[in-house]
Amino acid sequence: MPLDSSSYSIAQLSTQAAADGSSYLEMGLTKIICTVHGPRESPTRSGSSSQSPGAHIETSISIAGFSGTDRKRHGRNDKRTQEMQHTISSAFSSTLFTHLYPHSTITISLHVLSQDGSLLAACLNAATLALVDAGVPMSDYVVACTTGSTASYAGDGEEADPLLDLNGLEEQELPFLTVGTSGGEDKVNVLIMETRVQVGRLEAMISVGLDGCRQIRGMLDRVVREHGERVLEARVA
Amino acid sequence: MAPYTNIPLSPAELSYLHNSLSQNPPIRPDGRSPTQFRPLVAETDILPSTNGSARICFADGTEAVVGVKAEVEQSRTFVSATGEVGAEGVLGLGAGGVGDVDMDEEDDEQTSRAGKGEETWLEVAIEIPGMRDDDALPVFLSAMLTEALLADGELKDRLWINRRFHWRLYIDILLLSQPFSYPLPLLSLTTHLALLSTRMPALLSEKDEDPLFNDDWEASHFLYPQSEGRSESQRKPPVTLLVMSVGENIIADPSREELAVADAVVAISVAPSSTPDNEMVLKTLALRTVDPPSRLTGAGVPTALNTTAGGTSLTAAEALVLREKDQGQTVWRPPRGGVKRAVITRMIKLVTEQGGVGQEVLEGLAGVET
Amino acid sequence: MPISVLPPAPAPAPFANKPQYGHSLDDDFEDEDEMDIDSLPTGHQRTSQTILTPGQLVTQDPQWMRGHGTFPLEDRNSVTGIHSTLAGTLQKTNKLLSIIPLRARYTPEIGELVIGRIVEVQSRRWKVDVAAPLLANLLLSSINLPGGILRKRTSVDELNIRSYFSEGELLVAEVQQLFHDGSASLHTRSLKYGKLRNGYFLSVSGMGGGSGVVRAKRQIFTIQTRRGGEVDCILGVNGYIWLAKHVAEKEGVGMNKLEEAAAADTGMYSSQNDEIGAETRGEIGRVGGCIRALVEGGVKVEEGTVKRAYEASLEVDEVDGEEDYLGAERGRTVVEMVLSGRG
Repeated sequence: MPLDSSSYSIAQLSTQAAADGSSYLEMGLTKIICTVHGPRESPTRSGSSSQSPGAHIETSISIAGFSGTDRKRHGRNDKRTQEMQHTISSAFSSTLFTHLYPHSTITISLHVLSQDGSLLAACLNAATLALVDAGVPMSDYVVACTTGSTASYAGDGEEADPLLDLNGLEEQELPFLTVGTSGGEDKVNVLIMETRVQVGRLEAMISVGLDGCRQIRGMLDRVVREHGERVLEARVA
Repeated sequence: MAPYTNIPLSPAELSYLHNSLSQNPPIRPDGRSPTQFRPLVAETDILPSTNGSARICFADGTEAVVGVKAEVEQSRTFVSATGEVGAEGVLGLGAGGVGDVDMDEEDDEQTSRAGKGEETWLEVAIEIPGMRDDDALPVFLSAMLTEALLADGELKDRLWINRRFHWRLYIDILLLSQPFSYPLPLLSLTTHLALLSTRMPALLSEKDEDPLFNDDWEASHFLYPQSEGRSESQRKPPVTLLVMSVGENIIADPSREELAVADAVVAISVAPSSTPDNEMVLKTLALRTVDPPSRLTGAGVPTALNTTAGGTSLTAAEALVLREKDQGQTVWRPPRGGVKRAVITRMIKLVTEQGGVGQEVLEGLAGVET
Repeated sequence: MPISVLPPAPAPAPFANKPQYGHSLDDDFEDEDEMDIDSLPTGHQRTSQTILTPGQLVTQDPQWMRGHGTFPLEDRNSVTGIHSTLAGTLQKTNKLLSIIPLRARYTPEIGELVIGRIVEVQSRRWKVDVAAPLLANLLLSSINLPGGILRKRTSVDELNIRSYFSEGELLVAEVQQLFHDGSASLHTRSLKYGKLRNGYFLSVSGMGGGSGVVRAKRQIFTIQTRRGGEVDCILGVNGYIWLAKHVAEKEGVGMNKLEEAAAADTGMYSSQNDEIGAETRGEIGRVGGCIRALVEGGVKVEEGTVKRAYEASLEVDEVDGEEDYLGAERGRTVVEMVLSGRG
């Protein structure tokens, strides 16, 4: 099932000179800026004498008040944001080579400028690009996308194809999940579903999602290569 | 007001910078003249879901994005015959409701808009990475920016739709980079650009009926209309600039290290006011002093006192005499005392005079295509 | 001078999510054609210009050893291949494969000259920020103590530790050894190392792009300036740079004399600046501007390029009129002149 051809994507690396790594990603109308700082020494926490054996990954998401159709102030402490932050941190903790940087911290800051669905997936993809830009070693990209089930709307429930890359309106209407992979098509890193769907439909949704992730990985890889080539060209030996 | 982060500079560096800036003419670390601004990158209308938006990157890598959204809100105030605006009191014992309108009120809404706006219709929210919303820096910055926007009294009046409804203007300011240097000018310039590009939908309904707007965005009008000819409509949103002084020298657009050795730092908010001769005259809307971070630095140890450098340890009295004699010339010491009034006057003039720094910035920003 | 407001760099063209099936994308994950690394020119150390991205297979040939930036991965046929962990270029050193990232934090190596800033003072050592993932250590026993280097460290020294270096002070040092967690241990046991004063600090590590200070034979050199006497430049490999008024060379660094010289040098830990004239300050600012222009232009920063950039800035002054600020336009002109001067 091809990615919805109406959602054009833009991806850029090194958008902010002052950060160790940064990226800008658009998936449809969802726009995310990501900056990465680190690895840098963790501030010493009083009372914890044992140093962590690997780098600690800290994610913070700030959703701008103007990101939706209605202006809405999002607190940092709401549960949905905290859950997304935790998901992102744990997704990268298995792919980044954190053991190379004991007792240091990698800080991932995501700024959501505009949201129209697939928020978690876009955050993961933007964070991957920013981490690659920062030169943090990783075993592979973490790529994610959303799939939704139209089964309840189709006449013949069994044959409806799952949708890929949902926008805001579709997310409100359909049950959907976010799936993220790293290091191969069958290596799922992230699987989050907040709505309910019949268990029989799940497999089809996931397999369409995995295919979508493969395509996204190809796109992100192309972006990284083009950026790298431009940097090498501009750099004078 | 709360000072910002501590400065990681050694006493030797602070002393060097301070002495360089005290020269006549001041020698800035990057060679700029005292009134020269660093180049910046600016763009507007980057967020289609907002009424207006802008993004500015300074040369030191700091970056900010501002989005402006307007939403219709029902007014809870009424206007009495004498033009006084009554509002709900502090205890919520407001007198009268929406329908309580004096019938002698003038119907011509355009001219009677004056004075009908409410300051609460404007909300400025600042997000700084790593800081909570109730930390000192975001609170102070949003207070300063709000004060400047409301100072000329006109913006809030433009938000009035009719007696029952008004626009509520939300300005969300995002600082995208870490707050290394004092971000006030960056956030202010980005807000200025965002407001310049803000468009409001055209009103179709009349008088006090429920507001109905034209769906066609082409028919929308600018919140700050800029017409070529008449200066009456040359209203622009304010701009807040930082100016610092070292001794008798005044320096505009200070970089982070220059701020670290400032004797005084002032934030000046200016906007053009209309004159019959079509000239841009800037008037000062707000003026606040900023605690210079230099006061938080530690004094250097003069060599004579430095036991490792061959000095001896003197008594406390002798040490004091030694430092006072030096007066910060060769060894750094944090600045003491206040600012001379004459220096403040010169700082204001630097920004507001014809051909001064304020005018340069406004003209530079006006050139950004909306 | 008018403020220059520049338009943003044009965004790259959006790529449509074209429906693509078939092998072109399959290859990205598995069966990627091995990089034809044997076609790279042989020799002691060669770098290619092809970009490798994280997760990409480099080779499955068992003759290669894994260096920095790679990790082993078994594929479904149980053949272990070398994969890249970074976005960067490949470097072959004899039989060792490593990846040089396009951009990364400084990683300390033994023997490198770095400039650091004290961030913490502990009981017998200091913690120094050298723009690396971890703070470096400077032990009390690794610095020169006035009174002779063979003087034993006493508890009085420990109590006076802040009088040597306190928080925020800058120093130039050499990496003596690395701990197992990758953090560096510094020493200043030479007369050319120690506390820095009489000058201006500048950092190019946060500016990205992969360019910056490169390891060279001479990290410390002097520029003869037009009007301001001599300016000492210290280019720390970690991207921290110090520009200062020139200090007269200390004579004779024979082993015997070292002790006497250290004893006589009372200014080693002084925070007090000497008199620096206005012209020297201006020239220091100019050199700083040259270095920033080089970084923005993607030219590596080292003795040769900095000196050429300085000469070029003087030439530009003659043509365009004297101005001290090397931002944007003038900076680019200077960089072009540096590049063309070499070709």
